[in-house]
Amino acid sequence: MGGCQGLYDRLSGRKHIQYAIDLKGTDEDPDEILAQVGLTSDAVDRPVGGYSKGMTQRIVLGIALVGDPDLLILDEPSSGLDPNGVRQIRELVDDLSDQGKTVFFSSHILSQVEAVCDRVGILNNGSLVAVDSIDGLRSSLGTGSTITLSVDHRPDRLRFDDLAGVSNVVVDEETITVTVTDPAIKDDVIYRVRESGVDILDIVTRAPSLEELFEAYTTMAATGAQSGTMSIDTTEEGQ
Amino acid sequence: MIWATIARKEIDDAIRSRMLWVIIAVFGVVSAFLSVILSFVPEIGASSTMAVTMAAQSAQTLGPIIALIAAYLAIAGERESGSIKVLLGLPPSRGDVILGKLIGRGLVVAAGLMAGFLIAGGVILAVYGSIPLGAFVLTTLLTGLLGLVFVGIAVGISASTATRARAMTLSIGLYLVIVLFWDLFAQFAHLAVRGSFPGTTVPSWYVFLQSLSPVGAYDLLVTTVLAGATTGTLPSLATQLEAGIVPVFLSSGAMLSILVLWGLVPLMVGYLRFSRTDLA
Repeated sequence: MGGCQGLYDRLSGRKHIQYAIDLKGTDEDPDEILAQVGLTSDAVDRPVGGYSKGMTQRIVLGIALVGDPDLLILDEPSSGLDPNGVRQIRELVDDLSDQGKTVFFSSHILSQVEAVCDRVGILNNGSLVAVDSIDGLRSSLGTGSTITLSVDHRPDRLRFDDLAGVSNVVVDEETITVTVTDPAIKDDVIYRVRESGVDILDIVTRAPSLEELFEAYTTMAATGAQSGTMSIDTTEEGQ
Repeated sequence: MIWATIARKEIDDAIRSRMLWVIIAVFGVVSAFLSVILSFVPEIGASSTMAVTMAAQSAQTLGPIIALIAAYLAIAGERESGSIKVLLGLPPSRGDVILGKLIGRGLVVAAGLMAGFLIAGGVILAVYGSIPLGAFVLTTLLTGLLGLVFVGIAVGISASTATRARAMTLSIGLYLVIVLFWDLFAQFAHLAVRGSFPGTTVPSWYVFLQSLSPVGAYDLLVTTVLAGATTGTLPSLATQLEAGIVPVFLSSGAMLSILVLWGLVPLMVGYLRFSRTDLA
């Protein structure tokens, strides 16, 4: 599925699905497939020439679903879809994965990848630099998670030198940002800050986003090779 | 048969094209008009056989246009829109696609042309009171074959080209050469060899040159069929030839072979080019 798909303008959505069913020689019900991709209105009987990009995208996805494939390769499946459509695609992918199918999901929208994929592969300059679950990517990179503490004033003396597992500290007027590679020491970090004589107003902890992981992996790879265009591929695997 | 599924969809798709219906209707009206207009000129002494000849004349001009319009986008259009990738992502091979397009669109065009021809036939029967039935049926079938051959040419062109614009340019160029200028070339060849334009009787090589185009072959086939249907009203081919007899290379069998080859050769070239092309 690409960004801009051509279909047969004069034929209706249902006829497209029926055509795919006929060509694959299966005897599925086009309405079931249309329902699976969230097309249930009477629009399915109108010529696709008048469809929105999102509806066209769903028809193409429906065509791919004909014949109950074990492997689905979706390239930017959410382009042209509104937030509801994006959610439907995600639910559909979850469904398919529950049925034991493998969905190969290629996207540049990393929040979607994060939401939907069990295993993520990162491609840089045409070679695969990492394949793992998102948690696995986090721990193997050792970037750790970040604790952001809102405080009432800047502490006079605050030291983490002797605390193993702290990788980065930024102290501002009202916030202290600490990056830890070992999740277990978060408690120690908070204790140290309180000991320094400031009042803690708020605590936010955050694991690195896929975007940050992606950046880390691709720049890491780029130090050894030339940098260039980047793309991400992600895989979702059922059991 | 997977190509049959494609052919069915092509028919389904083609009969939704309003343009195709309009030009087929235009063809029916024009050929009926041309065949009737003869009867308004008493000096000609028009017969229903001559009227069928006139209908066949309009089929020679409009049939190729209808077929080219109906099929020049068969594959190039799908390449330009990207739907060919969806189609080839499904089980059919490239050969299946070409065969399905040929049969589907060919049947629509052949049926449309024959329907137009039947309209003309009905009008001829009404105006002249009779019609050479056997010859008319044969001419109608030949007209359907002419449509099928030009669909073969158009699908061949379409398979060889990647864009709508190039397919259109090639189709128009081919139409000009085959339908409009071919006779002119033959006449100039006669001028070059004999020092004069063709007169009332012509050498058989000249007729053969004319008949090397699909339209020329169709014309000679129709002339032979209609001359055989009546005695005297139409001059037979033999009386137009200097030799006075029809050589083998001007026989109906030879003409049918030329016509069919015109359908097959461009189609094969298109298939070979399409099967090797990179669609990405």
